[in-house]
Amino acid sequence: MSVPLSVTIFLPLAAGLAGAVLPRGWARWTVLAAALAVLGIAIWMVADYPAGGAGLRDLTNQQWIPELGIRYSLGVDGLNVFLIALTALLWVAATAAACFREWDRPRLFYFHMALAETAVLGAFCAQDLALFVFFFDLMLVPFYFLIGSWGGRQRVRATTKLVIYTLVGSLLMLAGAVALGVLATPAGGHVSFALPVLAHRLVGKGTQEWIFLLFAAAFLVKAPAFPFHGWMPDAYRAAPIPVLVVFSAVLSKVGMYGFLRIVVPLLPQAAQHYQTLMIVIAVVSILYGSALAFSQDDARLVVGYSSVAQLGFILLGIFALDVEGKGAQGAVLQMVNHGLVVAPLFLIIWALSARAGGSESLGRMGGVAFRAPALAGLFLIVALATLAMPGSANFVGELLILFGTFSTKLAFGLVASAGVALAAVYMIRMYQRSMHNRVGAAVESRDVTRGELVTIAPLVAVIVALGVYPHFVVARTERSTVRQERPAASLEHASETGGQASVPPAGTAELGPLGRAP
Amino acid sequence: MIGAVHSQLGPFHAPHVDWKGMSPLLSVLGGSAAVLIAGLFPGRRTQRVVVPVLAIAALIAAIGLTVWIWEPGGVRPIVAGALSVDTLALGVSVLFYVAGIATILLSLRSAVVRECGAGEYASLLLGSIGGMVLLAGAQNLVTIFIGLELLSIPLYILCGSRVRQEHSLEAGLKYLIVGSVGSATLLYGLALLYGATGSTSLSVIGHAVGTRVPLDDPLVLTGVALAATGLAFKASIAPFHTWTPDVYQGAPTPVTTFMAVATKAAAFAILLRLFDEGLISDRTNWGPALAALAVASIVIGNAGAIGQRSMKRLLAWSGVAQAGYILAGVVVGTRLGIQTSAFYLAIYLPMNVAAFAVVIARMRVSERGDDMAALEGLGRSSPWLAWPMTIAMLALAGFPATAGFIGKFYLIDATVAGGYAWLGVAIVIGSMISLVYYLRVIAVMWMSPSEVEVPAPAPARASPSRRVRSVAGWSPEADVRAQPEVAFVAIACAAATVFFGIVPEPLLHLAREVGSAISSAL
Amino acid sequence: MLKSYLPALVFLALGAGTGAAFTALNSVLGPRRPSKVKSDPYECGLPSEVTSSFRFGISFYLIAMLFILFDIEVIFLYPVAVGLKQFGTFALVETIVFIVLLFVAFVFVWRRGALEWR
Repeated sequence: MSVPLSVTIFLPLAAGLAGAVLPRGWARWTVLAAALAVLGIAIWMVADYPAGGAGLRDLTNQQWIPELGIRYSLGVDGLNVFLIALTALLWVAATAAACFREWDRPRLFYFHMALAETAVLGAFCAQDLALFVFFFDLMLVPFYFLIGSWGGRQRVRATTKLVIYTLVGSLLMLAGAVALGVLATPAGGHVSFALPVLAHRLVGKGTQEWIFLLFAAAFLVKAPAFPFHGWMPDAYRAAPIPVLVVFSAVLSKVGMYGFLRIVVPLLPQAAQHYQTLMIVIAVVSILYGSALAFSQDDARLVVGYSSVAQLGFILLGIFALDVEGKGAQGAVLQMVNHGLVVAPLFLIIWALSARAGGSESLGRMGGVAFRAPALAGLFLIVALATLAMPGSANFVGELLILFGTFSTKLAFGLVASAGVALAAVYMIRMYQRSMHNRVGAAVESRDVTRGELVTIAPLVAVIVALGVYPHFVVARTERSTVRQERPAASLEHASETGGQASVPPAGTAELGPLGRAP
Repeated sequence: MIGAVHSQLGPFHAPHVDWKGMSPLLSVLGGSAAVLIAGLFPGRRTQRVVVPVLAIAALIAAIGLTVWIWEPGGVRPIVAGALSVDTLALGVSVLFYVAGIATILLSLRSAVVRECGAGEYASLLLGSIGGMVLLAGAQNLVTIFIGLELLSIPLYILCGSRVRQEHSLEAGLKYLIVGSVGSATLLYGLALLYGATGSTSLSVIGHAVGTRVPLDDPLVLTGVALAATGLAFKASIAPFHTWTPDVYQGAPTPVTTFMAVATKAAAFAILLRLFDEGLISDRTNWGPALAALAVASIVIGNAGAIGQRSMKRLLAWSGVAQAGYILAGVVVGTRLGIQTSAFYLAIYLPMNVAAFAVVIARMRVSERGDDMAALEGLGRSSPWLAWPMTIAMLALAGFPATAGFIGKFYLIDATVAGGYAWLGVAIVIGSMISLVYYLRVIAVMWMSPSEVEVPAPAPARASPSRRVRSVAGWSPEADVRAQPEVAFVAIACAAATVFFGIVPEPLLHLAREVGSAISSAL
Repeated sequence: MLKSYLPALVFLALGAGTGAAFTALNSVLGPRRPSKVKSDPYECGLPSEVTSSFRFGISFYLIAMLFILFDIEVIFLYPVAVGLKQFGTFALVETIVFIVLLFVAFVFVWRRGALEWR
């Protein structure tokens, strides 16, 4: 027995609306309460999820716009259950962090925060392509306002750039989604955007290829991956920290999730066709992101560019397309891991800047650890997890991704593994510059406040727990992930052995037993 | 001599008039005459209350009668085949009535009503609506022209109805001249079509082209080209849009609102009727040309809007771009295309009226007129106006949870299914460009003005029409309370935009019934 | 295909040619004997006292225009009156509606003071 997914998704929005009409001081508590309630539901969802994996659960499947063949279809499987939990957890952290500050026009602020959570949860749960596009584009609206209204210097410029970049991708995806739905419809059939139906109605290879490019544009911009990251520095500099926490940790995952949920299973031939291109983008992102993260002075941008590199790893895993699906499993695990480390990193930067006279420049920090052992300890754990120290879940994730890549694209895998080492370089540099080094001019070292502890410590606890037992995630995601990758991966297998492979549809195997590609 | 006349006339048969089918039109035209007379009675009360109430009553009656005679799929020729009552005509005419009601509400406190008289103003408006209804139901080339003129002539006057304002007169004159060129071109085209086919009836023309008359008959081709040009003037499709920004800016804002939504709907109703019904068999010839016009509109409209500071000019350019989107539905020529055009026209109304209503509200209290700066900090000072504008802009840009998203989705759906996938991509690219200026409006309202990059100030032309209150003692809340009807229109339209973005099914269902009117569509 | 346009083109060319030819011939062959009387703007009757900057009262235009409008409307009534028996009640009703509308217009024009000379 579980709560209907619609309730989970729309609870924050309802709370945000309630907060907007209630007296001014109440908004933060209603939204925080809703975020906590969603977290509770999400924990139950994870706990209830069978360890061996399962098909789609908690299905909601209703007509929404029959005229257009759009269904209001939601579901949870191994692919998204942890991402939903991640979203719920990080929103609690971000909202709680925001609650410790006073915001101008608080009701509007918390309304947008709540709307954003609803949109992200909706995108993760959607099992209908059009519904996914709907939520995917909707995510942008609250973040546009959050960054533009409550951000730092040059916020309007930054947020406009962000929206234009992302919406260019989104609109291309909209065109691609509609084209996919319409062109996949057999003569005389009804248009449908339901993912399981589309998995049966594969379009021709040529069509798959151009639609693939439209989707890839949207997801790569969102990530952001190397040539599409132009909006990232401005937006990261301008965004208020609680917003940046969820923005960086969760929104980038939606793009990667889109690859796994939609692109690879629905366009397997195109995924195979463009595998090398995507892997090149991934590897370049890893190297470029790492190099720039090493050379940044702004602490936010160190984390920002490190995200570019980390998302490169995730992309690499997804397009490893190995038969056993190791790359993709690693990618899913790494999505969770990256979200879990980026969020506390930004919260720590917030804490650091509060001690460094409001500056987020690494040059002006330094020596903070002197009287802040607890903060330093928390930061160290997070930093070590980020650089994928053995013993962290990130290590397992990256290892799985590299294993997957080695089995299909050995050369690229070897280049990418350099990224693991580079991560150590930039993370340790950041830790040293801020925590040790000479004490900065305006630095006033003091240990974690209660507010910081409440928001950072639980996240660190989850990082440690996952480091101890990453199998918890891997076991539950394995089945769903392998299922998504199988059509594309089996093509690869077929081409290697020279045989003809029939393409088994993805996303429908909940009916059958766990199957591996031949 | 009288006997000679008799013998020449021969037996006379009165045309069959379906009074039931004509009833909405009669209600509007009757209302037009009634308000004209009512406006003659002196007294503030008559001008401010009786005339608007009468006009709105006539329009509501027309809506009621339309609902009464609504019958999906049934095409009833009335008045000897000159007019037809079908779901396309009726569906689109509801848009005219709603736009008319909104316009009258928006102009209640407008200076234009005092300057040209409440009775005349409402009468001209209703007359123009009558022309639109005639146009939407036209089954005959002659009716098309009469409808178009009946639509246009009152609008020329309305545009120039602020007789003491230079730019209003300028707008009226410009619209008159350009509109006359458009009408003449259309008339020439219709004459050539008649010459080629020997009939003024759309259905006869439809049968003749491709059978009796070859598809690439030069007379037909020239006629089609000229007719398309003439209608493109009315619908402000690029490159025949150059009058739009000037006229939209100069005309009294309620009139601009009406022109933006109702005239556009009327022009597209007749474009659908003429091309997708009368000339559908010649689609291979006009399809690429109209597609080129659509792309030109999308590109030119969006590019033109980027540099605008004046909200009315910005909305004019955005209207050019949106006309390009709607034209895509005409181009594909399928039933789905007709449905998408009708659907987009329907959602285009609340999106635009909401935006214009906010502009009107601001123009009355702000010294900056319709300049974007008049919206500065609106999110803080009067959120009840800022939200409708925000929703309107998001909807026009095609964000989800607004009707604009469904509209774009539907349009792309139709273009892909109709074999014009590249046109769908053009729509998408146009939407991308449009973000630049739609988002700027939102940024001006919600984010601090110093941070927003707006184009360099143009030489100020717009002056505040009238203060609702003097600035001293003026409070932001009073902005909404002092003109509740404007706020009501804005909020109602914004609510409709969101509602149809989440529950579009009723409107889609109606659009499908509208599409069923044109049986010849593919 | 375009051959069907040939007569029209020939017609256009002939028309333009004839017009141009006569204008040209006139200026070439015609005798020119200008005199003061000939170049006067008003050639018969009394010498004109009106200068180029003279303006008519606006009421003149208004009334003249209204006169033409109503005058033309009346013309429509004649054919109906002549053939009323054949046309039957339909035409009678139409005419009555027409007259009522004219009457509305007349009342409007009258009450608005358009018929008063100012």
